[in-house]
Amino acid sequence: MAEGLGNRMREERNARGLTQVALAEQIGVSRKTINTVENGVFIPSTTLALKIARAFGRSVDDVFYLTGEE
Amino acid sequence: MMPLLAAVFLTGQAVYALGRVDAGSTIDRVKVAAWVAWALALLALLATGGGIFRGREIRKLMDDESTRANRNQAYAVGFWLAMGTTITIYGLTAFDTIAPRESLHLIVTIAVAGALVTFGYRERRDHLGG
Repeated sequence: MAEGLGNRMREERNARGLTQVALAEQIGVSRKTINTVENGVFIPSTTLALKIARAFGRSVDDVFYLTGEE
Repeated sequence: MMPLLAAVFLTGQAVYALGRVDAGSTIDRVKVAAWVAWALALLALLATGGGIFRGREIRKLMDDESTRANRNQAYAVGFWLAMGTTITIYGLTAFDTIAPRESLHLIVTIAVAGALVTFGYRERRDHLGG
């Protein structure tokens, strides 16, 4: 099965009452980027993944995970 | 916006499809120059994402990671369309003579329009999603 990148961004964001726009402003990217990462359309760079995880006060492993692992 | 510009760009090519432009007369020279200016402007738009008159922070936001990924994909589509068109034209020369200018015109038009449509479509999809 092919591996992909899953994430818990929506859960983390909702738990903090953050909108996509608010999270985007906090990180310094566009809402579009947050939206595409959250929906799995776009795989973020390590830098962006670290920024997103930091915005939630989590590690990258907590927010992102590999899907389809055997 | 970009797919619209690509459509306008392609529509403008009717001039070439309906009548031969040989750059012999002043009018034809203007047509050729206008097409070159159009193509360069669209390439500049694709490369920069526009926003030339906006502030640095806005431009940085407009050119973030997902936009750059979409642009790279658009470049790839443009490249393959250029290759496909070139090979097709090369094959067609076995049956008919095609002038160099016409060939280059076709290759650039198809590649630029394809890249613009791809970029515009992906950006719009990403904006609307979610």
